[in-house]
Amino acid sequence: MLRATWPRTPGLRTLSLAAITMAMAAAGCSSGGSGTTPISTAGSSTLVIANAVRVDTLDPEANSVNESIWMDQNLYSRLLQPNPTGTGLVPDLATSWDISTDGLTYTFHLRDAKFSDGSPLTATDVVFSIERSRAYKGGWGFLLTPVKTITAPDPHTVVVTLSTKHAPLLADLAMYAYSVVPKKLVQAQGKAFFQHPVGSGPFYVTSYKPDSEVDLARNPHFYGTRPKISNVHVLIVPDDNSRVLMLQSKKADIIENPPGNLISQINSTPGLHVELFPSTRVDFIQLDEHFGPFKKLAVRQALNYAIDRKTLVKLAYQGNAIPGASFMPYKMQYYNSAITPYPYDPAKAKKLLASAGYPHGFKTFLITVSGDVAGQAEAVVVKSELAKVGITVAIQSYELLTAYAKEDGGHSQMGERYWTNDIIDPDEVATFGADCKGGANAFNSYWCSSLASKLVNQARLELNPAKRQALYSQVQQIVYQQSPFVVTDYSPYRYGVGNWVKGFHVTPLGNYDLSLETLTVGQH
Amino acid sequence: MSRFGTLPRRLVHLVMIGFGITLVTFFLLRLIPGDPALAILGSSYTHERATAIDLALGLNKPIWTQYALFMGRLFRGNLGYSFFYNQPATTVIAAHLGPTVFLVIYSAVLAAAISLPLGFISGLRRGGIVDQASRVFFTVSFAMPVFWLGIIMLIVFSVHLHAFPISGFGSGFAGHLYYLFLPALTIAVGFSTVLVRSLRAATIAVLQAEFVDTARMKGISMAKVLRRHVFRNAVLAVIAVFGVNLAYLISGTVLVENVFSLPGLGSLLVNSVSYRDYPVVQGVTLLFALLIVLINLLSDVTQAALDPRVGQEIGE
Repeated sequence: MLRATWPRTPGLRTLSLAAITMAMAAAGCSSGGSGTTPISTAGSSTLVIANAVRVDTLDPEANSVNESIWMDQNLYSRLLQPNPTGTGLVPDLATSWDISTDGLTYTFHLRDAKFSDGSPLTATDVVFSIERSRAYKGGWGFLLTPVKTITAPDPHTVVVTLSTKHAPLLADLAMYAYSVVPKKLVQAQGKAFFQHPVGSGPFYVTSYKPDSEVDLARNPHFYGTRPKISNVHVLIVPDDNSRVLMLQSKKADIIENPPGNLISQINSTPGLHVELFPSTRVDFIQLDEHFGPFKKLAVRQALNYAIDRKTLVKLAYQGNAIPGASFMPYKMQYYNSAITPYPYDPAKAKKLLASAGYPHGFKTFLITVSGDVAGQAEAVVVKSELAKVGITVAIQSYELLTAYAKEDGGHSQMGERYWTNDIIDPDEVATFGADCKGGANAFNSYWCSSLASKLVNQARLELNPAKRQALYSQVQQIVYQQSPFVVTDYSPYRYGVGNWVKGFHVTPLGNYDLSLETLTVGQH
Repeated sequence: MSRFGTLPRRLVHLVMIGFGITLVTFFLLRLIPGDPALAILGSSYTHERATAIDLALGLNKPIWTQYALFMGRLFRGNLGYSFFYNQPATTVIAAHLGPTVFLVIYSAVLAAAISLPLGFISGLRRGGIVDQASRVFFTVSFAMPVFWLGIIMLIVFSVHLHAFPISGFGSGFAGHLYYLFLPALTIAVGFSTVLVRSLRAATIAVLQAEFVDTARMKGISMAKVLRRHVFRNAVLAVIAVFGVNLAYLISGTVLVENVFSLPGLGSLLVNSVSYRDYPVVQGVTLLFALLIVLINLLSDVTQAALDPRVGQEIGE
């Protein structure tokens, strides 16, 4: 999540001019060729979104910033995509797919699709794009480790073969990193392609200044629902207050992430409101088992009983979050809804501490990220709650990457972290959070359960949904009982929206591309 | 000897300072915990993925080798490749230079336009209405943080009066002038405090100088004395103050850039540090250092040009 390129340099100016010229040529027949669109009497055909963070890249294999990922979904298609509730997959480029009975061969049948420059999109482009992202160093290739071959027997068919069964395959292929780009152009232009990319999504880029603004226009060749709006204007406005002012002065239709303390102010402004969309974000406090007391199960459980999640949600998130229970996001497949948050019970916490040999508590520290307002408030709540059971917490604030480096290093004691899903399948979060050999040391708690690890690996190979549900429910139960982290809450995505915008929706993964196809911008 | 005799020596200093800056930024930056891989991977960080990224960025090499590579590229005018922008660092920095330079010059011009008349009149009419009012105003405004002042300007001029845009850079020279007016004014108000005070003090001091009395006794009109002797001498004293503060303005625009969403060098530097985008941070730091040294040099040269005594003092 991590936050202009002005066309100051001749190179960039030429590029953006070229992009606009191309755009105008491509959109010759449609009305929305230029960056500025005349406002019709019935409302506006341009949607203005103010994001807090700059665009890192338009290259799907290299995207790491959420806001950029969400925007890029409007430019490219994938074989399949998550549905609006984030609980299943729906067709995108592939209209249907067959899975062989041994679960090792997946055959995707592609629709007739075109890129925004009018050239046809074929199976060769799909194979090229997946292989390209797979080979990207430090990227998402590891998700597709079991994939043996990806081939295009004909222009409308893609065949993926696996070395072992891999239940998350469809979800993996629906991920942003596996967006489809035109093979010919990318090979010819290399990285320069992504300054003025061509995709097959509902919109394409007409002007790209990653630090200040990006203009999108409706793709005339898009195979799906023709969007009602013809242009999207994405502004980068890092300052929280400035974004709110933009919404209040109606210079923006939608603003990302309004600060929590301004939510009630926005809601009380006529014509504006804040929408909260359930997300896959899980806020938790990792308990590093290198620290003596946290080696003991009773201490970890005591911490869970000692923290009043209702107070925490009220004070740190203005009530706009849900108390946390399972370590998996609550809006996803295979969530174990039988698990309920640890009740607030300081007496029980004290008993557990005494049984573990810490009747008078102990001293520890909690790492937080400076500038994270909600996280800082959360730390204060945690400190005061734990003081009641005798645990003295020193709050240590660090700049984001310094905090992460300390937490990853295994010397952190307590540390605030959060998780968000990149795919809708639980394999990713389960591997990072519960598999000893998953590479992330169970969210850096260095907790290790051979049973949980075994179940995670078993679930990856299991294609039967009911059996997978059973396996993941058990994993979540183990993590809940073993408490390697204190799951504090599930916080939603926040957007400030003008009432004149109808139909804006964000999926739990954070994507809003589907809603931009049907959304309307009324008079304001 | 010559009025600009120090120039070659100062230029040698410049190169040495530049070299020192490369050492400091290169190694200090690498002392901060957290690395680019962590910035890219965030909560899906694993050791294997981080190693792959380090390999791709050349961060697995020994640090001295990295420094040697960096210096080698620098001599060829190449600052390295920004992984975060997917562009050469020089391209990234050049793209962010425009707004900051425009903003700094604009603010300086506005500050001069505000403070020259006010400071001079305050000095001439000590205790007069202009003097009193400007002292009160600038004492108060000096105490206001720029980000707060910026927000207040936005609320008054943009949200309520619709007179100026909330964010952005505009296009074309006139567009920049319009879009950057509020941010430039925000900076200029703070900057003017120092200028008005020093110009006022300088004017008072010059007015009390004997050569002013002498000039008057020679029968030169007061208006002419003020224009030719008082103003010129008073402004001289302010140029040094102006130069030093201008240099700091360049790096100090970051808060204002943030409030008004201007993608300039200040916000680029802060973002790049938080992403550990080493090539960009090194490049911007180097540029700031060189600019500050250059502006200091320039203000010395300007002073020398306006006042022969200064040139002799520093030029030996």
